[in-house]
Order: sequence, then C-alpha cells, then structure tokens
Amino acid sequence: MPTTLDLHAVLPEIILSGTLLAVLVVDLFLRDERKLWNSVIAMAGVLGSFWATLTLIGDHRATFNGMFVVDSFALLFKLMFLAVAALVILISANYLDEGVRSTQGEFYFLLLSSFLGMLLMASSRDFLMLFVALELVSAPGFLVAGFKKRDARSNEAAVKFFLFGVLSTAVMLFGMSLIYGVTKSTNLVAVGQALAHPAARSEPLIVASILFIVAGFGFKVSAVPFHFWAPDTYEGSPVPVAAFLSVASKAAGFAGLLQLMFVAFPHQSNVWAPGFAIMAVATMTLGNIVALAQTNIVRLLAYSSIAQAGYMLLPFAVVGGAGPAVMRQAFAASLTYILIYSFMNLGAFAVVIVVNRKRSSNLIADYDGLMSREPGLTTAMLFFLLSLAGIPPLAGFWAKFFVFSAAINGNAAWLAAVMVLNSVIGLYYYLSIGARMVLRPAEDQSRIGVPFALAAAIILLVIIVVAVGVFPDFFNHFSPRSTLVAL
Amino acid sequence: MILAATGPEIAFWGFAVVAGIAGFFVVGSRNVVHAALYLVGVLGSVGAIYIVLGAEFVGWVQILIYVGAIVVLLLFGIMLTKAPIGGVALDNNQRPVAFIVAATTFGGLTWIIWRTFGGTRIRLSPTRTAQIGNSLFTHFVLPFEAVSVLLLAALVGAIVLARRD
Repeated sequence: MPTTLDLHAVLPEIILSGTLLAVLVVDLFLRDERKLWNSVIAMAGVLGSFWATLTLIGDHRATFNGMFVVDSFALLFKLMFLAVAALVILISANYLDEGVRSTQGEFYFLLLSSFLGMLLMASSRDFLMLFVALELVSAPGFLVAGFKKRDARSNEAAVKFFLFGVLSTAVMLFGMSLIYGVTKSTNLVAVGQALAHPAARSEPLIVASILFIVAGFGFKVSAVPFHFWAPDTYEGSPVPVAAFLSVASKAAGFAGLLQLMFVAFPHQSNVWAPGFAIMAVATMTLGNIVALAQTNIVRLLAYSSIAQAGYMLLPFAVVGGAGPAVMRQAFAASLTYILIYSFMNLGAFAVVIVVNRKRSSNLIADYDGLMSREPGLTTAMLFFLLSLAGIPPLAGFWAKFFVFSAAINGNAAWLAAVMVLNSVIGLYYYLSIGARMVLRPAEDQSRIGVPFALAAAIILLVIIVVAVGVFPDFFNHFSPRSTLVAL
Repeated sequence: MILAATGPEIAFWGFAVVAGIAGFFVVGSRNVVHAALYLVGVLGSVGAIYIVLGAEFVGWVQILIYVGAIVVLLLFGIMLTKAPIGGVALDNNQRPVAFIVAATTFGGLTWIIWRTFGGTRIRLSPTRTAQIGNSLFTHFVLPFEAVSVLLLAALVGAIVLARRD
C-alpha cells in the first residue's frame, strides 16, 4: 500500500531531531570552555521548531496512517512544550556551565530528545506511538536525573526514577496489549469505537486494562499512590532537571492521559471517573499535608507539584456519564490548569536555581530576608508562589477557577469543597515562604546576582503569569476549540 | 479434551509450563547467577511460544536479543561489579507479602482473561519476516524512527554516566 507522507506536519519534530544530532556532533569539536555554545544551538533549534509549529496553526492534518495527527490540541501542547524547552535551556545554561562543564553537550542532547518525545506525544493517536513517545520522554529523564555523578543523592534520584518508571511502563504496556487483544486495533479512535459497544462498557478485562494504563500515566504525573519517586528524585537531581521533570514530564503525562481517557475510553467514564475522584482527592490532600512539614525548598516544591497534579486530575472525576457540555468543560479545565501550572512552577524553580548558586543546600531557611538582598528576585518569587496558591489576579487563580467551575457544573460539589480546603492548606505554606522572605532578617546580607539568562527567563515567566491572570481568556480561548473531543 | 489437542496446543502447553516453572525459580533462587540461568529458560520458552504461534521473526529476535544478549549482559554485570554471588540473602522479610500479592494478581488476571477470551479459537497463520519488514517501514515508520532516537539517547546517556571523568 503506497503511503504519502505529509512532511510539513512533522516539520517541528524534524527540526528538533536535526538539532539534537547537531548538538551531539558540534559538541565533539568544542573545547570545554566553549561548551556553552551547545545551549545556543539547542535554543536555535527549539525556536526553529516553534516557528514550524506556528506555520501549522489552523490546520488539521493526519499522516502516518492516522498515527500522527496535527490539530489544535496537539499544536497547543507543542507550543507549550517548546516554550518550556526554551525556558529550561535558559535556566540550565549557567548551572551546567559552572557545574558539569564537560558533559553539557550530552545534557542538551538528552533534554532535546525528551522534548522530541513530548512533541510526538501531543500528536500520537495510537497506542504504539503513545508508548514510544512516553518512553522517549522518560528515558532521557532517568539519565539527566543522575547527571551529578559524584553525588550519591543524584545517583539515588536516577535509580529510583528508573525503577519506578520501568515498572509502571511495564504495567501500562500490559494494559495496552489487553486492549489490543479485545479491539484488534491500536488506533485511539478505532479503540474508542470498538469499546462503545454496551457489552464492553463494564467488561472486567477492559476495566482492568484501563486501570493498568492509568497506573502507568499516574506515575508520570506523580499522582498518589504512584508518587513515591518524585520528592527523592527532585531533591537529588540537578535543580534544572528537577524543574524540567516537575513541569515538562508531568505535562507530557497529562497530554497522553487526556487523549486516552477522552478519545479511547470515553464510554467507560462511568467506571473510571470515580477512580479519578479518589485519586485526585488523595493526591491533592497528601501532597499539601506533607508539603507543610518540609524544610527543603525542592522537596516542598515536589510535594506542591504532587498537590497541583491532584487539581489537574479533578476534572476527570466529574465526567462519569456526564453530557457533552460537562465533558468539554472538564477537558478544557484540566488542559488550562496544566498549561498555567507549567509556567508558574517553572518560575518558582528558576528562582530556586538562582538562590542555589549562592547556597547549594536548598533549605527554606536560606530564603530568610531575601527581600533585603535581592528585591527584584523576591518579588518575582512572590508572584510565582501567590500564583501557585491561586491568588487573583494571577494566572494560578484562573487555573483553579476553571477546575472549580467544572466541578460545580459536573454536580460534584463535594470535590469542589475538598479542592477549596486544599487550596487553603496550600496558601499557608506558599505564604509562609513569602513571609520568611519579606519579614525575617537575613543572616548573610551579600547579594546573590542573577545571571542574564536566568533573569531573562524569570522576567518572561512573570510576564506570562501576570498576563494570563489579566487576560484569562487567552488559554481558555484555545482549549475548548480543541478538535480532539468531537463530542 | 487432551486427545483432541492439536500439535501446536501440546507444544504451547509444554513451553508454557517450562516458562512458568523457570520463572518461579528466577524469583525464588537465592543465587543471582542461578536466577540469570533460569531466566534463559523463561525467555527461551517464550521465544518458542512465539514461533509456535507463527510469529517467527519475534520468536527469533526474542531468542537472539533476550537469551543471547540480555542474559549475557546480566552475567557480565554480575562479574564486573563483583557483586556477591549466592550465600548472601538477596531478599528481605517481605517474601510472604510479595507471594500474596503475586498470587492475587495471577488469580485475578487469569480470571479476567479467561472470562473474555476463554473459548475463543484463533487460526494460526505464520507471519513472514518480509511482511513485518514492509509494515515496519510503511505503517510504523514513525515509531521506528522515534525508537532510534530513544536508543541513541540511552547509549549516549549510559556512556556519560558510566565513563570515568
């Protein structure tokens, strides 16, 4: 059978693949003190890929036998992943050049490979492709988590992440193979149609398969009870890697999860929605309560990111047997939350990277009196923390607002109540860091100094967090238009 | 029932029982090298089952890669890291718990798979390697390319982590 390939549709991926190979080759010819150039090449490739994605806006294309689809859902995620890639390169450049100088080239190569997996993930409409894309996202992540080779914690971070990752992938793949056995197809749309049959709606085999697949993705997005790796991995990894894992890898997991649940398994929503309700409540409550006891800022952000994943899972819980309007709203709410979370969390990590340059202990106590040392940086951190807490008029407020209204419209007032209660706990620990920075006296009055690349990233992120807060329709304008959910 | 069994069915059950028993010893063995050798039994039998089912390419790849490369790699890993071989208890006191979890999973999966597929008969038709090659480079060329990047990333990353600075 002759197949025509639509190469324009895969242009962003082609540019990124070309760039990652270029980084690997150019790196061979760079002396150690010039390795910083790798980041410039990587950045150029990411921007090129971003441009290529922009040229596809408004299109709806399917190629590779419907395995790879370009639609507004895919494009929105791709633009977000590439923006995050650019920001991660900006916040890693100085850290790497001062830390693991000689292996910088390989770091950017692995980082771009992971982002290539994310781009593919957003467009995958096939179990096989989703699985390969998810592995391409994770495997480089395992490796970069262990990049501080001499640090036992970094080794532990990589090994823990690897073992949990491999186990959950195996479980997920088993689930996918059972679904293939029933439906004889790996295409998500075809699977969705095959499972629409009333007899298939509560078949134990299908329910078990969905459970296995959700477990695999639950690991990726660090949902309770698959979250154990996250705090240890974030704490041990180099800080930019923790930022990357907490944002990009989580968003990639959700990109896959949204497609699976709303395209392949919408007819089983009566079965999986209550499961998501339990998972969402457990995730946000455990994340928030454990976060209260943390003394290390990276661990605190790790538990906060677990709690945030709970809010993103919440809309999945209200679609059980619901009408198309509720389903569409829930889909949009989860999507918008992921997009906004990515930028505000990346911002908080960017500030942690700056402070880490002065003191590598990452203790919350290091932030005492930061206001008197670095007023600009502290103000930016306050913006990110307040946004994470959900204070209007910052972006994080709207993220919570959309999820909250999805819960109310889905007749799940108790979930909305749990969410508000959790937001209050979150507010307490986010604000307590803010209070320490502003009110406590600083031990060490010396300035920290913000390198240009980090300053640029932080300023961009503050602009995004404020702009989305003032114009909340910006994201909400895209998401409901997603052609993915043809309900 | 047994009398009516066809050649492939008898072969399947034979290999499946060998794989199951060997699998039990992989987990139960107190000596890492023995466990690795029992693994040859598991992976070899699984490869044989693929061949019985007509998937010759997957079957031979299973034997070449898993038995030929992965088990050897495992043994080399044990040798090069000078890991303790035998004599040292490699497990902890969670054996009974693990056994209960494993038995429940096995029972549950057997039940749900039997419920859905029990009684289904499939007619075996061998899949030629040429067919697989064709579909790999037409239908599945995108995942194939993505896997090549994945393997390159794994290779480069492994070298970075393993080499001495």
